[in-house]
This record gives sequence, structure tokens and C-alpha cells, in this order.
Amino acid sequence: MKIIVHNDKCQGHARCWAMAPHIFELDDEGYIKPGDIDVAEADEKLAWKGAKSCPERALEIGK
Amino acid sequence: METFASQPVPAHVPPAMVGDFSLFSSPGMQPTPNGDPQAAAAIVHQGPRIFYSPVNTRDGRGTWVITRAQDQRRVLQDPETFSSHRSIFASALGENWPMIPLELDPPEHGRFRSLLNPLLSPKRVMALESAVRERAIFLIDRIAAAGTSCNVMEDFAFPFAVNIFLRFLGLSDDRLDEFVTWANELLHGDNVQRPAAARTIIAFIDELSAERRKRPVDDFMSFLVQSKIDDRPLTDQEIRGTGVLLFVAGLDTVAAAIGFDLNYLARHQDDQALLRGDPSRIVLAAEELLRAYPTVQMIRVATKDVDFEGAPIRKGDYVSCATMIANRDPLEFPHPEKIDLTREDNRHTAFAYGPHRCLGSHLARREIVVGLEEWLKRIPTFRIKQGTAPITFGGHVFGIENLILDWS
Repeated sequence: MKIIVHNDKCQGHARCWAMAPHIFELDDEGYIKPGDIDVAEADEKLAWKGAKSCPERALEIGK
Repeated sequence: METFASQPVPAHVPPAMVGDFSLFSSPGMQPTPNGDPQAAAAIVHQGPRIFYSPVNTRDGRGTWVITRAQDQRRVLQDPETFSSHRSIFASALGENWPMIPLELDPPEHGRFRSLLNPLLSPKRVMALESAVRERAIFLIDRIAAAGTSCNVMEDFAFPFAVNIFLRFLGLSDDRLDEFVTWANELLHGDNVQRPAAARTIIAFIDELSAERRKRPVDDFMSFLVQSKIDDRPLTDQEIRGTGVLLFVAGLDTVAAAIGFDLNYLARHQDDQALLRGDPSRIVLAAEELLRAYPTVQMIRVATKDVDFEGAPIRKGDYVSCATMIANRDPLEFPHPEKIDLTREDNRHTAFAYGPHRCLGSHLARREIVVGLEEWLKRIPTFRIKQGTAPITFGGHVFGIENLILDWS
């Protein structure tokens, strides 16, 4: 599973990070680090919830 | 309440698109005993997705009202079309300068935001938590020792939020009451009180920044006066604009949220028992309470003519994105009228959408969660004191007063 990160849409709500800080890493300003995220199988459910928590719709669930 | 000669509805607004709802004057928006202004505002969902409200700002101006969360997201994510530059604070003084970063647009906005973001980032807030908790414990223990009832806003919510704010500014609690008065008069005062409070706050900020320039310490204002944007120091105007925003945004909002939350829990014993029995639920519950009881409306100004879902928005028109309206949008939240403290899928807009997402949101969240945790830990089952009625009100920033809780 992959999370596609739309950095231009991230506004630093950090809801994904609150859900799973080890999957969704933030920079020093509190925005998500650039680059899509490869999710380990064991983390898929958590990653899905994290992606779904974004108020800006900046995280897309890929295959 | 202030009254204004309402301005005529602009000619380009089709009469059929004029609605009779206003966050200032509709039922439930005026000071109301045992009121629920956020629920009252949800009445707009019986109407169209966008309409024109002829008197919907503190100074009596008309705004378009965006009712759906999805449409508010579109507006707030598009600062090129919907500008945030309004000089709302300065205009109370007949002046024109922005509160920073709120009233700047990209790209200028981003430079200030980058400067300030690290100070209130999620990680930074983790480091502030112990001080926040210590303060909550101090205040609540004092309340518990004093008796079996209290005035939540005066005894807890305001002193708590204002103390955290003062700590951020590197100031002691000595002038706490003064600050609460300034904030109250600025946000909820009349035509005379508001400009007077604004001038007082400006003088305070100017004085503090001058002092910190001379003798910098480890606090926010020292950071600001020593900072650079594009390799130049901030101007006095920029420092003032930033300091004023911090003041306006940080004081009233967190206190109001705590007030509405405790008011809700006092009236819903089952939910109070749920959180008391399992405090680990408070983090999630606080999100639902933020959804149900947000306090702010975002206003944007159209920078060009644009047709928005059938509405002919013209350059200069005000567009209102009220958080309490989007947060009760049935297309975004199933059964929005039902407050479900276990609601999981909850992408509410209490802190807005788009580049102006509340800079203090992470700190605000911690204050609310810590406040509720310590309150429930230290105060037994509580209810609204018999014979009293909290007063709620709508308007520019929603609020609650005279919230007397009793646990005798």
C-alpha cells in the first residue's frame, strides 16, 4: 500500500501524524515531509485511517 | 448589542439569493439563557448551499454565506480568489494594517508563517505540555478546595488560557485580570470599548517589543524582534501586527471551547461518565466537541468576479465560512446534530481549512484535552447549578458566560 502525498495541499493540521507519527513524518514547521509513503503491511489499517483524517484531503490512498 | 443601519443589498445580488439568516441577529445568536448557538446556526442547512446575508459582520456588512463544508474548503484553499486581507483589527481604529499572518495573502503570508510555525508546531507543543498541565492542576485544585461549585469561565477557562498565553509571551500572571478585560472588551465590547481596548493592546505590544529589543529574553516577543524576513528585520508595524494577532487569537477562543465543552458534559451525564470512566477517550471526544462547538467565522474578500455555485460573487464581496455551519453539514458528517464522543471520521473545520489553518491549533488542542482530563480527574460528577443558567451568544466569536457548575 502506498500513500500519495499532495504536499501543496498540506496545511499542517497534523491529524495524520497524531494518528501514526511513525508513518506520517512532519518537518520542523509541522507540515508533512515530501514524497509518497510506502506502508508496511502491518501498518495498512493505521495508514488508511491517517490518510482519511486529513481535513485538506492532501493524502490519497494508492495501490 | 450594537445596531447598525443595515447597508442596502448590492444590486448584483439576486433578490432570491438573499437569506434572512445572520450569525449576529438570528434566533439563538443574541445572548440566550441555556442557549445553543451552534445548533441554532445549523438551520441554514435547510436552505441553499450559498446565500447572501445582508448584515453578517460585526460592523454591519453583508456577506455571502457558504454552508457546505466542501464549498468552504474550496474558498479557504483558494486565497488568490478569496483574500484574507481585511485589516479587521486596525479598521476599528480607522487604520489599515494587517494582523500577521492571518491578514496576509500568499506568497507574503508564507514567509511569516514559516517564521512562526516552528514555535507552535506539534512537536514544540509536546514540550509545552507539562507547563499546561501544571497550570490546569493548580487552578482546578484551587477550585476543588474552595467548595462545590464555581464559575467556570472566571475561575478556570480564562485564567487557564490567559496564563498559557502570558507564559508564551514571557510574562507573569500579575496582569492576568487586565488581559481578560482587554480581550473581552475587544471581542465583545461596544463601539466605544472596542477601539479603546484595541489602543490599549497596541500600546502594550509596542511597549513590550521595545523592552525586548533592549533586553531580549527567551520568549516570543524577543524572538520576533530578533527575527528576519528576506534578510531584513521585521518592521515595527509587522511586529505589532503579529503581536496583536497572537493576543486576539489566543485568549478568547480556547476559553470559550472549554466553556462550551464543560457546559455540554454538565448536561449529558452519560457522556460525562463515559469520559470519567475511560479518560483515554478524551482525545477523540475533544475532536467531536470541537466539531460541535467551534466559535469562529472566517471571512474572505473576493479579489475578482467569480460565479460560485450559481452565486454572482463580485470583486470586493465578503464571503463568510462559518466553522459552526460547515461542522454541521449533513453531507460531510452523518447525523451532524448528534454529538457522538466516539465519532471517528471527523475532519471538522474548527481550525479552518487552507493556508490560514489556525497557527495555534496544536496548542489549543492540548489545552482543551489537558483541561478536560484534569477537570474530570479532580472534580466529581458535575451539573449546571440549580437556579442558574449559562448565557450563550453568537456573533463574531461565539461564547458562553455565567457557566456555574455544581458538584455538591
